[in-house]
Amino acid sequence: MKYGPREEESFSIDLSRPGLFVLCEGNYMYGNASLSYYDPVSKKAENEVFARSNAFPLGDVAQSAVMHDGLLWVVVNNSGVIFALDPATFREVRRITGFTSPRYIHFLGPHKAYVTQIWDPRIYIVDPTACTITGYIETGMDFETGSTEMMVQIGKYVYINCWSYQNRILMIDTDTDAITKELVVGIQPSALVKDCNDKLWTITDGGYEGSPYGHERATLARIDADNFVIEKTFTFEFGQSPRALTISSDGRWLYWINDGVYTMPVEAKNPPSEPIIASGGTIYYSLTISPENGDIYVGDAIDYTQNGVVMRYSADGDLLDTFSVGINPGNFCWREAL
Amino acid sequence: MMRRRTDARSLPGMTTTVTHRLATTVTHRFVTTVTPGLTGGLTHHSTATVTHRLVATVTPGLTGGLAILIALFTLFIPLNASAQNDWWNDDPSYVTPIEESAVIADRSLSEIGQQKSRLDSAALKLTVSQSMADILTYNSSIFVKQYGRGSLATVSFRGTAASHTQVTWNGMKINSPMLGMTDFSLIPSYFTDRATLLHGSSSLAATGGGLGGAVLLETAPDALQGVNIDAVLGAGSFSTWDGFLKVNYGGRRLKTSTRVAATLSRNDFTYRNYNKKEYTYDAAGIPNGSYYPIETNRCGSIRDLHLMQDIYYTTDGGDRLSINAWWMNSVRGVPLLSVDYRNGLGYINQQSENTLRLVTGWNHSTERLILSAKAGWLHTRQGYDFARDKGNGVMAAMITSRSLINTIHGQAEGKWLAAEHLLLTAQLSLYQHFVKSTDRNALSLGTGTGTSAAPGKTAIGYDEGRFETSAYISAKWNATSRLGISAAVREELYGESLSPIIPVINIDYLITNNLTAKASASRNFRYPTLNDLYFLPGGNPDLLPESGYGYDAGLNYDSARDGRYAINASATWFDSYIDNWIVWIPTFKGYWTPRNVKQVHAYGIETRAEGKLQMGRDWQLSGNGCFAWTPSINHGDPADWADEAIGKQLVYIPQFSASSRVALAYRNWRLSYKWCWYSERYTTSDNDIATRIGRVLPYIMNDIVLEKRFALRDAGLSLKLAVNNLFNEEYESVLNHPMPGRNFEFFIEITPHFNK
Repeated sequence: MKYGPREEESFSIDLSRPGLFVLCEGNYMYGNASLSYYDPVSKKAENEVFARSNAFPLGDVAQSAVMHDGLLWVVVNNSGVIFALDPATFREVRRITGFTSPRYIHFLGPHKAYVTQIWDPRIYIVDPTACTITGYIETGMDFETGSTEMMVQIGKYVYINCWSYQNRILMIDTDTDAITKELVVGIQPSALVKDCNDKLWTITDGGYEGSPYGHERATLARIDADNFVIEKTFTFEFGQSPRALTISSDGRWLYWINDGVYTMPVEAKNPPSEPIIASGGTIYYSLTISPENGDIYVGDAIDYTQNGVVMRYSADGDLLDTFSVGINPGNFCWREAL
Repeated sequence: MMRRRTDARSLPGMTTTVTHRLATTVTHRFVTTVTPGLTGGLTHHSTATVTHRLVATVTPGLTGGLAILIALFTLFIPLNASAQNDWWNDDPSYVTPIEESAVIADRSLSEIGQQKSRLDSAALKLTVSQSMADILTYNSSIFVKQYGRGSLATVSFRGTAASHTQVTWNGMKINSPMLGMTDFSLIPSYFTDRATLLHGSSSLAATGGGLGGAVLLETAPDALQGVNIDAVLGAGSFSTWDGFLKVNYGGRRLKTSTRVAATLSRNDFTYRNYNKKEYTYDAAGIPNGSYYPIETNRCGSIRDLHLMQDIYYTTDGGDRLSINAWWMNSVRGVPLLSVDYRNGLGYINQQSENTLRLVTGWNHSTERLILSAKAGWLHTRQGYDFARDKGNGVMAAMITSRSLINTIHGQAEGKWLAAEHLLLTAQLSLYQHFVKSTDRNALSLGTGTGTSAAPGKTAIGYDEGRFETSAYISAKWNATSRLGISAAVREELYGESLSPIIPVINIDYLITNNLTAKASASRNFRYPTLNDLYFLPGGNPDLLPESGYGYDAGLNYDSARDGRYAINASATWFDSYIDNWIVWIPTFKGYWTPRNVKQVHAYGIETRAEGKLQMGRDWQLSGNGCFAWTPSINHGDPADWADEAIGKQLVYIPQFSASSRVALAYRNWRLSYKWCWYSERYTTSDNDIATRIGRVLPYIMNDIVLEKRFALRDAGLSLKLAVNNLFNEEYESVLNHPMPGRNFEFFIEITPHFNK
């Protein structure tokens, strides 16, 4: 291998079978983010498929990925770019730039999507077809601590958790592209999902020791989206750092990582006392649930500076497979079979 | 031949020089230096460009007190160091005298068994615009990690980390107490008169904490009399402008040196970006091709200003007083990664630094005793700003990080030649650090907290101090005319934490008159930095110090013939173990935290050779070469069952590196060639080489410098053209950090003759 032009590889993925994209963050300021692809049927994984197919690297800190309109949209945070890929070839077909520090993209139509940011209080409105930024939603935060993260849509409203040095969920009217309400939750809500009853769930990390913003117990909270109030709060022990809140595709089961992997039905009265997958000394970094069969996929970052692994468990927590991926597997995206 | 030419010149002051050169030729067959940087008793008698050092003898042929007296206060002339100024004004030749005395048998009492390398003045002055990072790249076996042109550059010895390299300036440690490391890109070579590398345990003679080694940087009085001015102007690629000025005054007692170094560069080099692609489209808008774009280095501008004032005063009674002050103002962009799609014009991404380093010193020399004391102050204000244009020309601050560091330093040292072959040394160093580190705009909590917060904001950061003490005693004994033994103990106090005893043993043995064997063994510790302990978020007050022990052994060969050749070569094997290696790793909450994790076994071989060859009356070849093999292996406990990093090379430390600098001089012409090579550096702890995106491949860098000197009636004049990256190699030194292709710098240097 020589420094210079990179070899371009051709892929042709069978789209009639479902697939799992594993988005590997890489290391901040290394520019070694990557995309892995796993075929759950053949149990084969291909790594660095973006770089191999396009002959250039994905960028610095891959944050999130979502399938929309037959394309895989990958948000690369510290590169300030969103790529749209053909899921069969992994070839880049569209590119949107002009962001400060993009985190997630949520589609509202062929010509409208929202992009959340960190270090920038504005939610960007983009035209994903023309690949242009068409406007902004002002949030009232400032650039230093502006932080908008995951987006969940119920009806015409999009709900957004504000994570870094924030404690809010925003409710945005997609007709007016303006914030209609804000809901204060615990310190630093890191994730937001919706369940089968159109209830929102968020998990807060509680901040950190010494933070002037505060340090409190982490929480798991259920929010009534219509009235936009917290209905129920489960509180973790002080110092615990639950993360990676995920929901099954039917919206009936919540999953999260708190050393081990925990799950509970959305109607549960009490949180589970035992994990479905014990930590076993392994550092679980990310989580996803198969929409096909409920298998639990857990990303392991190991020491954060080497290629990670993903462990695939059955819905009951039995280990079925492990496969090697890129550095810091932080996010997953399922592609349904065509 | 060379001495004959020297003798033929009858410049004022030269007689003394020649006399002492002859004297040293006689005595220095086995006698060399003891105490770098200390002025011996003969200072006031000499006007030559020489380094005066207290020396002790091991000369078999000379006996008793007479030998000591002769040897104690004789003169040492380092290879290349002295003669250039002598030859400059009347005969601007690059062909300088080769002197046997300068290289033979470097076996001093104070340096028994030490693995030490010195950078000569030819290396330091070859390209004045270069930082010490560039100088070390081409003249030493240590690894220089450069993030880009004019960007952060750190150095590490023997497979260790940058924070394991201790750096002193005129005896005062200048490692950042926040970060533990030193940015060598901010140290101009023009401000360095002497640079010494202490490898491995040899660093304990100067300071603790150098698990890899230590770099000692010094300024020194110029031996020339009267007012001497040296002015250099440079212009280079990427809109780079350099200006350097040195005004030296040398009187009988008083010597001063005033220096200015200024650099301005847009640093907007272009490069083929293999980390992005652009597409071409047909008339219907369908992509029909792609290419790697030519991009410009973004946010990389440089604006540095350095001022230095040195004052030395010597009394007849053997006292020398000194003041060294160095002020620096630097504003540098932090270049965007090559995988960054943001428009550099819309961003501010820069670091700024204002630093004052002040050292005052006294030393007193008698026949058997040298006493010295130092007091110093180090004041640094650092800033990092990340801001973006909101689209209306108004810059919105995203990160406004500010640090204030104040360090007060005191040091006392005594060296006593207790017996003919016994040197006792004691040293006590004190440092009191005060560090305030804040992100002053971080939180909008309404009222503002603390004086470091912007109005209406709450700063995130820490305000901490630490008192550090290091005590050192040593006994160095020439047991026989061939065998030298040194035993030393260092003890350190960091805050309330007292280090275990740190013993050091050094031995050397003169196998033949040209060949010396050296060996050493020691423990060592490095304490966590203040950021390691207190940084918000992530600081870990429970960190343990890194602890290590190591051994080395090597051979040193010297050979020279007056006027013919001089060669010095060394090869050293080293073996060291470091436990509780501190590594910052991410947390689930999005920030990083330091942990004691790795056990590291760093071992290998360092070799170095330098020499000069006279090829006829007007031709001279000189140069040096280094090669290092530095496996640095992680032997920690696996993070979990999938951990593939155990037994692997540490990230970003090359297993092999080599460099050389060769100069061919013909009268007043000189062509210098610099070359360096690094083997692949792994960017992952599992040393993945199947990756397409994470490899920093081996590269070779070639630079040349062509110089010509002119002797004008009233001034010396030198023209210099430097071509960097001669073969226009495309490469990365750090993953996805742009590097420039071939580039040029032109310098004109004027040295007026005031003393004629």
